[in-house]
Amino acid sequence: MKSLDEILQNNISGMYYGNRVLLPFHFTALKIVIEKDIITDFSIREKGAYVNECPEFTEIYFMDYPELEPNISKYENIKMVIVEKGKDIFDFNTHRKIAIRPEGDHVLSIKEIDENTIFIE
Amino acid sequence: MINKNLSILIILVLILILHLGELKAADQSLIDTSAVTENSLSSHSEEHPLPAAFMVIPFLTLLLMIATGPLFYRHFWEKHYPKIAILLGLITVGYYLLVLHDIHTPLHTLDEYISFIALLGSLFVASGGILIKIDRKSTPMLNSLLFLFGAVIANVIGTTGASMLLIRPFLKLNKDRIKPYHIIFFIFIVSNIGGALTPIGDPPLFLGFLKGVGFFWVIEHVWYIWLPTVLAITLIFYLVDARNMPESKSNISHSNKIEFKGFKSVIFLGVIILSVFIDPAVVDWVPSFDPLPIGIREIIMLSIIFLAYKSAPSEILAANEFDFEPIKEVAYLFVGIFATMMPALQLIAYESNVYGQSLTPGIFYWATGSLSAFLDNAPTYLNFLSAAMGKFNLDVNIPDQVLQFELAHPIYLSAVSVAAVFFGAMTYIGNGPNFMVKSISERAGIRMPSFFGFLFKYAVPILLPIFILVWLVFYFGKV
Repeated sequence: MKSLDEILQNNISGMYYGNRVLLPFHFTALKIVIEKDIITDFSIREKGAYVNECPEFTEIYFMDYPELEPNISKYENIKMVIVEKGKDIFDFNTHRKIAIRPEGDHVLSIKEIDENTIFIE
Repeated sequence: MINKNLSILIILVLILILHLGELKAADQSLIDTSAVTENSLSSHSEEHPLPAAFMVIPFLTLLLMIATGPLFYRHFWEKHYPKIAILLGLITVGYYLLVLHDIHTPLHTLDEYISFIALLGSLFVASGGILIKIDRKSTPMLNSLLFLFGAVIANVIGTTGASMLLIRPFLKLNKDRIKPYHIIFFIFIVSNIGGALTPIGDPPLFLGFLKGVGFFWVIEHVWYIWLPTVLAITLIFYLVDARNMPESKSNISHSNKIEFKGFKSVIFLGVIILSVFIDPAVVDWVPSFDPLPIGIREIIMLSIIFLAYKSAPSEILAANEFDFEPIKEVAYLFVGIFATMMPALQLIAYESNVYGQSLTPGIFYWATGSLSAFLDNAPTYLNFLSAAMGKFNLDVNIPDQVLQFELAHPIYLSAVSVAAVFFGAMTYIGNGPNFMVKSISERAGIRMPSFFGFLFKYAVPILLPIFILVWLVFYFGKV
């Protein structure tokens, strides 16, 4: 399993199929913003997003969106605050802000959110 | 989904425009259109029967759904709000066309809606091509100064322009410690109250200017109300923000630099502001396309939407995460609001004319204000201006009489002008930029208060006491 830093440095992509996103690393999601939906409740009682850790990847289902691609426009991202598996979740320095977006042909770009993009944890 | 709804909306507008000649002819057989003036719904109510009181139900339904949808049935609302807004609007438009046989009011409303959305849309897109980075530590003083700056430039580029230009830098400046109250005070000061000094500031004042109110009349007669109000709200913000400073976790170093990118988009902003004056009522040589509900001004603004988007550097659009969704949301909701509020506005115009003789400046202040919080403040302003002038046997459609009114009874004009602009800050729907600022903030990850949360947790406790003070000091007991 690659680390998030390796994925970012080597521009490794994730995948998406419909409303399912597959990311090639393990993490705990703390906050996801898709369009203007702010998702912080990942329990089964809420529909927003279902996060599931598989042996080789982590998958997220965005339950309110049948398809991601038409909903995420050209300059828009799905923004997430995550903590890589194995890192101390209670240490705010381990919280990473990443942006993912469907690029077409099931390719999902993964980037670290830079200082220009406004994303409040 | 959105594109399908947009197509339906465009088709409906086209059908209305294509049938314009036919309907207009039918309309002329019923009324003397020469008596129907461009901006006055009130005078128009004399030629057509008034709508039935129950026809405010679609408006109240839409208002209720805007307030409760995101709270209690969010998924249904987010999926279906365009259809709901259009459907409720169509019920009202259908009533006007088929029951009242009134084409003028829906057309006039369409005209206002197109002007509204062309201005908002063009400012939104042009400002999306501008990137301002303020690399300084966020402090209550810096935020307060930014609000004061926003309040001043709102009078030069409009509250919408100022809001769209400053909201992103403001969010970035405060990214380490931002709370919903930051955005709410931004809406209070930059998106609304700031723009009370010039006709460019807020649409109601521009309507007054088109009717004959002097360009500098507002600044001369309102500055001493504007200044303490803006300072009082900024002071409250400063105190609230200062209390929240110790919670800040930020220990990042700052270069104290301000970076600005997107000069081309600034030029587009300038053209939009100048085009506001390209109106046949202001400049003689500007052709009127009447009865089409569009003019040169709207064509320029709509062209800028295309040009500004196409010419903006993609790195700036990407940094701003530019998306048309916030303006689409405003376009759909406000097409419903504009259409469904026609009966409410006409009934208010009628009532205010009936009771105009007994109304004092204080009553005009509260009536204009309370209705501007929930209705579009531009027609509300015009209806109460018409009623106030009617009290002195003056006609709002005669520029000389408007001049006479502003000289002889400035307190009435001041009450209506101040209330129409100030009270737009009371709700998310009180003024166009409020909703867009909310939407941009939510996309940045800030959970904004609900419609009722905004109203009862922030607007009523903060703004209402200040507005009461304004009333007591400037309008109470005056005749």
